[in-house]
Order: sequence, then C-alpha cells, then structure tokens
Amino acid sequence: MSAAAAPKAPVADFVTSRVVAAPRDLVWKAWTEVERMKQWWGPKGFKVFHAKLDLRPGGEFHYGMKSPDGHDMWGKFVFREISAPSRLVFLSSFSDPDANVTRAPFPGREWPLRMLSTITFAERDGKTEITVRWAPFEATAEEQASFDGMRDSMTGGWGGTFDQLGDYLSKA
Amino acid sequence: MSRDRLSATFAALADPTRRAILAQLTTGEMTVADLARPFDMSGPAVSKHLKVLETAGLIARGKDAQWRPCRIEPLALKRVDDWLERYRRFWEQSLDRLEDYLHEVQAQEKSKAGKPKRPRKT
Repeated sequence: MSAAAAPKAPVADFVTSRVVAAPRDLVWKAWTEVERMKQWWGPKGFKVFHAKLDLRPGGEFHYGMKSPDGHDMWGKFVFREISAPSRLVFLSSFSDPDANVTRAPFPGREWPLRMLSTITFAERDGKTEITVRWAPFEATAEEQASFDGMRDSMTGGWGGTFDQLGDYLSKA
Repeated sequence: MSRDRLSATFAALADPTRRAILAQLTTGEMTVADLARPFDMSGPAVSKHLKVLETAGLIARGKDAQWRPCRIEPLALKRVDDWLERYRRFWEQSLDRLEDYLHEVQAQEKSKAGKPKRPRKT
C-alpha cells in the first residue's frame, strides 16, 4: 500500500464552527430549553417526536426522531459541564427508547459508544460563533463487557432499519 | 478489525497531537525527526505517540533500524474517516437547522413587537 493512496483525512480536525446571526443568550436557550431544542436538533428532514431534557451535570437530554423515510432513531446526551451562556460539555450516544446507550444504528456498529462533545458559544458583534468539538470517548473494559452482554440479549430486528438509516445519512 | 484493535484506534485518536501527526503523514512518509519539527517536541515524545498509532494499526513503520520512516495505513484510516464524516454531517445539518430556527424565532419576535398590544378581557 502506498502513502499516495491515503484519503485526504481531516483526522486532525474534530471540529466545526458556525457564526449565527443571533444574540448569545438566545443561542444558549436554543440549546438548553427542550421546546426549542425540538425545533432544530437532528439532520435535515428529521423530526424530533420525543425529547426530555434535564439540564444539570449528570442529567440527560434524551430524544427520539423520525427520519424522512419514517424510521425512528433514538439518542441522548449526558451533561458533564454546563456554563451558561458560553460552554456545554456532554457525552453523546445513540440510545434505545428507554435511554440505554446503544451502538451506532448503521453498519460499523463497532464504532465508539460515546463521543465527548464540547460546544462553545462566543459573542461576535451581536452574532454568536458556535464551535462544536468532538472526540471518541472510550468505555472502560467493564462498561464494554456489560454493554456487549446486553446487546447479545437484544432481538435482531433492527439491523435492516438501521442499515437503511445509515444509507440515508451517508447520502444526505 | 477486532474490537480491541478498534478501541485502540479510538484511544489513539482521542489525542489531538496524534491526530495532527496523522494529518502530517497524509502528505507522505516521514521520519521521527521530520515529524518532531513542526510540533516542537522531542524525538522520544514523538516516538511515544508513534508507538500508540502503530499499535492502533493507523500507521506502519519501515524496517530500517535507524530511520524507520512512518506511513499511514490507508484502510484503517478510511474506516475512521467514514465514521467521522458521518458524525460531521450530523452536526453540520443540525447547525443548518439551528440557523433557520434562530432566524425564524427572531423574525416572529420582531413582528410581535411591532403590533400594538391589545388589552386582554378578564
């Protein structure tokens, strides 16, 4: 294998940022009030039909959303740091309807269970710069074992649905 | 790839210096000295990171005992990259929607503020 065949990897770049034309306080509310969060969270065409938000360290944002072709997808954040109005840190993962952490709902289910996500909000002349950083967050061996045990006891019916969702996300 | 290997891969990628080293290596083979230069790090410190990347299967190193040039393992990297792209897309699209939402909600507030308030019947 030659180095020339390597993909142009943005591996150094687990970050994306965006300047939005809105005051920082409003942006903060959009991220931390459940009724607002429901209005925008998720990829294009997805609709949040379930959302519960408990804004405190250790608290969770648990959501269910419907894809444009009608599949349900569940996920959650577990908050680690809440510093209004400038910084939010949480572990994000896919989940089931009961808010148990699950593997990614598309091929490559061996990918990390959780991502550590850090969102910062900076004021820029009346606008707000939102920066989203993420990194894989590795489970301890014990968590992993308990997760794998749990997964084995789950019924297998989800595979096809999730594969379709994966296709959708990769095309979107 | 085994589960252990993948855990090692993500543990390796959790460190920003190692991600930067990988980014450097996407331009071609490099020696430890080449890699140390832009990072202002000692050779041994870079070697330590390289060892982690090698164990994770993300890079391979030449046999030449003195130079041991490093190169990226394209297949392992491709798998990681696919995941990250998917994750990035999720965020980008959510931020697009957030932007639309913020725009709408401010427009609504403006139009509300523009109308004279009617006294409510009690």
